Amino acid sequence: MAHVSPSSGSIIVADWHRCKDSKEYFSKILHKKRRKNFGLLESPVMPPHVAVDTVHYKIFLSGKSGVGKTALAARLAGLNIPNMHYETTGIETTVVYWPVKLRENGRVLFFRLQLWDCGENALRRFDHLLPACKEQVDAVLFLFSFTDRTSFDDLSNQIAKWTGAPVVKLVVGTKFDLFMHCDVAERDVRNFQETWSVPVLRVGGEVSDGLGDVASLLNCLAEHLWASGLCISQTPFTAGDRDCTLILT
Amino acid sequence: MMMLQHGSTQLLCLTASSGVPLFTRGASKQLPFSVIGSLNGVHMFGGGHGVVLSSCETEGGGKVVWRVFQDSMMLIVVSGGGQDGAGDSKEDEVRLQRLLENVWSCMVLVLGQDELTNVRNVERLKRDLRSCFSLIDQLLEDRQEGILGNLTHCADSLLPPNPTLLQEAVDGFAQASDSEFGCLIVHGRIAAATEKWWRLAPPEVVLLSALIRSLSASGSASCDYPVFLPQGSPTVAHRLLRFQLLPGADVCVLCGPTPSLHSAESGMVGRFWTPLVETLRDCLAVGEHSLPRSVSLRPDVLALLLINRETRRSVSCVRTSTNRPLGDPPLPSKARCWEILKLFYIFSTTRYFNQEETLCVSPEERAQRANTDDFVLGFSHQPLQCYLVTEECKSYGLQTPQHQLFLLAPLSVPTFALRTVATQTLSDIVGATGF
Ligand SMILES: Nc1nc2c(ncn2[C@@H]2O[C@H](COP(=O)(O)OP(=O)(O)OP(=O)(O)O)[C@@H](O)[C@H]2O)c(=O)[nH]1
Ligand SMILES: [Mg+2]
Repeated sequence: MAHVSPSSGSIIVADWHRCKDSKEYFSKILHKKRRKNFGLLESPVMPPHVAVDTVHYKIFLSGKSGVGKTALAARLAGLNIPNMHYETTGIETTVVYWPVKLRENGRVLFFRLQLWDCGENALRRFDHLLPACKEQVDAVLFLFSFTDRTSFDDLSNQIAKWTGAPVVKLVVGTKFDLFMHCDVAERDVRNFQETWSVPVLRVGGEVSDGLGDVASLLNCLAEHLWASGLCISQTPFTAGDRDCTLILT
Repeated sequence: MMMLQHGSTQLLCLTASSGVPLFTRGASKQLPFSVIGSLNGVHMFGGGHGVVLSSCETEGGGKVVWRVFQDSMMLIVVSGGGQDGAGDSKEDEVRLQRLLENVWSCMVLVLGQDELTNVRNVERLKRDLRSCFSLIDQLLEDRQEGILGNLTHCADSLLPPNPTLLQEAVDGFAQASDSEFGCLIVHGRIAAATEKWWRLAPPEVVLLSALIRSLSASGSASCDYPVFLPQGSPTVAHRLLRFQLLPGADVCVLCGPTPSLHSAESGMVGRFWTPLVETLRDCLAVGEHSLPRSVSLRPDVLALLLINRETRRSVSCVRTSTNRPLGDPPLPSKARCWEILKLFYIFSTTRYFNQEETLCVSPEERAQRANTDDFVLGFSHQPLQCYLVTEECKSYGLQTPQHQLFLLAPLSVPTFALRTVATQTLSDIVGATGF
């Protein structure tokens, strides 16, 4: 379950996945009631008369080893979440397609969010990995774990490293389901949010219906990306037409 | 003494010089520290007397195998033995020896040889070794049906219906990535690879396939993984780039500092592979059979493993629904067929056929570890065929200068007909695919 900061929902329709008119779009990212896994050569295909633009973004997942980066990527893409912690020994990217409806004009877009997950220990061992993750990145999700106080305390350091960079910044608290072992108080989270004016989202627990669990996080991310201004719209290369167009909001 | 439950396997890793435990994996119940200490102690005791202890057997059917790598690390594997009646201790030992070699290669692949052999800080090494656990556990579980490369050290391959197109695409894609090493993996098996990929040492090809399989199984779209090659480049890391073209079909290249993952993905993947989407789908449709539909196997073939001895590649399949006439004894399950195929491979290669030694072990060590029976060494000639009839099925092995074929047939096939079944199957496959 993800809980979103209250400010959200001003640009895109919140909970759109629950509305009837979203069915034909969401059905394209589902297969037999589960999320569909798309290869790089694939993308959601709408019938020709429904023209939907796809906007591409690169998102970097940052946070210490074991905090839950790989699990978050799997959760957001509807893949199997690893129940053991195996260190990620390089960069792995995961693609998430997410349909979004803009409030202003009712326009529908597919967000193609490519999540870049690199194991923290691999980052330390190999110098070339971090620059690769930073190259043309649009957003950073800073992860901390509710069960690990130090990961929370380190957030300000982590965020400070990105001051001045024109990227969307969000904080995600993982393992929110393990409240028995919770090491970060609600009050601390609220204070943090006010000091840094960065939204903090919470995830954790079993995945139930596939969409509801991730909708608020993905909508929040999409909203901030869209609000950040410039984006590159690119029809996926399966369409055979790879012209890039710039869209200004 | 029975140290572990039947069927469970535990792996121990210690520093060779001082016996400091570095990690243990496998088996839900860990061996007590005192047992670990004794296992290391008895090996050291032998060493002090000029004896290399390489394996031993317990009364309960368990087995222990020791091996020191690069004079720096000791791996010990303890097996509870007797996985549902599978094989005798010789089969077990071969399996465990292979396991230790593979585990060591994994460690080098992830961490590089320097870190493993020049240990400066044991605590730090312990921490770094954790990054190998994913691959090591995968080796210990050995659950993936239809993958035999870990045992044979031949690359599990899939013969696509349209090999030329895929070959050209792999070659072109690798070249555009400033790399000579590229391969296309479908259902965990190599469907096409550049010439240089095939010139990597066979155990490396198998190891990379295992890594790619585990990355592919996670469902991620692309990867940039630093890898050391245990034989080709044990101290300098290369980058393994992997792109999931379609679920189940991945293209990989080994390259240097360029291109970046981002640029390879956005600039090259679509260009080379979009025109081939349908070809890739046809290739995925071949499925676990690894053979295209143009190969028609005789109905009395239950399962097979075919190795090309020169290229160190293999294809294998277990057939699911061979219609069984009423009254015939039941056929072994699919999973059991894969198990029997492995056991029969070990049986044949330790007793009759050559197992091409592809590992870099010193000649002395090889003599010490020789798996081949004295019985075979006493032969003045090379056996070309062998067979084995058990309660479950009949197995037949066939060896030519170019190939080794291991085949399972139902009990209903008369034993005298096995040879014909095998020779015909070999020529059917080779004739249709040129494998
Ligand atoms: N209960 C619970 N467990 C979680 C959650 N997120 C991650 N985990 C567990 O935490 C462990 C570590 O998660 P990973 O996602 O592998 O950690 P990582 O950040 O990718 O770590 P590195 O790759 O080493 O950098 C795994 O065992 C996960 O199952 C969560 O939200 N709830
Ligand atoms: Mg990870």
